[in-house]
Amino acid sequence: MGAYRADEDYDYLFKVVLIGDSGVGKSNLLSRFTKNEFSLESKSTIGVEFATRSIRVDDKVLKAQIWDTAGQERYRAITSAYYRGAVGALLVYDVTRHVTFENVERWLKELRDHTDANIVVMLVGNKADLRHLRAVSTEETTNFAEREKTFFMETSALESLNVESAFTEVLTQIYHVVSKKALEIGDDPAALPKGQTINVGSRDDASAVKKDGCCSA
Amino acid sequence: MQEEFQSKSKPISIANANKLKVSTSLGGSPPEEFHKSTMGARATDSARIMKFTKVLSGTVVILDKLRELAWSGVPDNMRPKVWRLLLGYAPPNSDRREGVLRRKRLEYLDCISQYYDIPDTERSDDEVNMLHQIGIDCPRTVPDVPFFQQQQVQKSLERILYAWAIRHPASGYVQGINDLVTPFLVVFLSEHFEGDIDNWSMSDLSSDIISNIEADCYWCLSKLLDGMQDHYTFAQPGIQRLVFKLKELVRRIDEPVSRHIEDQGLEFLQFAFRWFNCLLIREIPFHLITRLWDTYLAEGDALPDFLVYIFASFLLTWSDKLQKLHFQELVMFLQHLPTENWTHRELEMVLSRAFMWHTMFNNSPSHLAS
Repeated sequence: MGAYRADEDYDYLFKVVLIGDSGVGKSNLLSRFTKNEFSLESKSTIGVEFATRSIRVDDKVLKAQIWDTAGQERYRAITSAYYRGAVGALLVYDVTRHVTFENVERWLKELRDHTDANIVVMLVGNKADLRHLRAVSTEETTNFAEREKTFFMETSALESLNVESAFTEVLTQIYHVVSKKALEIGDDPAALPKGQTINVGSRDDASAVKKDGCCSA
Repeated sequence: MQEEFQSKSKPISIANANKLKVSTSLGGSPPEEFHKSTMGARATDSARIMKFTKVLSGTVVILDKLRELAWSGVPDNMRPKVWRLLLGYAPPNSDRREGVLRRKRLEYLDCISQYYDIPDTERSDDEVNMLHQIGIDCPRTVPDVPFFQQQQVQKSLERILYAWAIRHPASGYVQGINDLVTPFLVVFLSEHFEGDIDNWSMSDLSSDIISNIEADCYWCLSKLLDGMQDHYTFAQPGIQRLVFKLKELVRRIDEPVSRHIEDQGLEFLQFAFRWFNCLLIREIPFHLITRLWDTYLAEGDALPDFLVYIFASFLLTWSDKLQKLHFQELVMFLQHLPTENWTHRELEMVLSRAFMWHTMFNNSPSHLAS
């Protein structure tokens, strides 16, 4: 119970979703980030799975509630329900399979149809360790990311490359969006009492950005 | 009645298994042998084996009798034959059996040469995608059992799944159906291997035998899923409906847990979706799965509704624990249930309780009305 309490000690709770084609490594990115584990033989994700981790940015503790989704098309109807209230998304593709990058556009549309316009999106080119099999160039994605105004990073869950940075960047950006919003409405984000924590738990669909009234829940 | 029952069932533990079972006599007639107090050992009981032998040796197998017996577990060496009969793949009439199986196995072979053994250029885009998806999932099927890492096993899985998907275009292949082939595969392979699954090697089998086993898996998978087609079609309405029923049933059985889950904002879909999608294969140790499936297959057409009772019973195994957890802990606990050390004993407990609740609640529809 003690550990649990400590775990609950956070300033902000952000809901983040992991999406992208089947087999690109979403679940391994999540287990690398939350448990520092990687499995070559992980099972496919059915529906959604869930994990959390907290990080510190400035003097704040940001807790990420991360929903890992199944990649297969058939699960889209189930998984898109989990997009509601998400303030961040890691949209993952496999740098060795070009088609998974081509599908990014569809995923992005899907995401924007179901979430707030201010959602922080990061394109994640995973399996960057497989250098000899690379099929998507960094340049190609960089251009795409600029056009779509998303963040972009290449990772390797296997080699633990950039995984920490990718998640941290998304959470930090969300934090900035939230702080800026708070400033705009004349509130000092640093002074937000605990009670004003951005709660994106499953019942409360109010996301960090929504909370400021930019759209109705 | 409900009140009394609730107070009785509250501390769900192995210890009061017998008490719970006694109360089954309150309604309906339980399957034969149900009152025998042995658990797990039941399937190897010599009297039971004799009963199975008797039922199976008839010129025409009386399926209702076989169902009653099989519900409580089938002896390992009889399982392949019993499953084929329960699923309606092998005909009850022994004179016809050989002929029917031979014909069905040839049909499978035809299906493979017509749809699987062709170049990608002869497949539609959807078919290429489907085969690709199956190819991604086969290597990650029951990865904790080394046998499934054998290349030939994965190839067999791929053929079975692709044949099934091609023949069931309304759903096509859906992730998790790969899990559903595995019990059939190990059961039908067990006719050709001795001893522990860890020592089995597919390369010891002729291609004819492998093809027959694949055919049996294909047909049995088809029979099993015939009654659950809408579990895998767009938006998976069949599963959504059963998840809703599960939620209602849990509310009737264990109000405090139900209320706690609701208070925490936990949706049943967040944990039970996978249970229905993979029929609990992901949730309990693989060596217990065939025993669980004896009951599934004995239920026949009634299986989807009975799953709701099994899963309620499974969930409420942790009734006390659940009430101590908050939202995030609940989600994580339910997605990684501590069943790794489970034996037949715990599984029999889940099934007995499911049977009892089914007897009580199914006979009183008002119990389930909102």
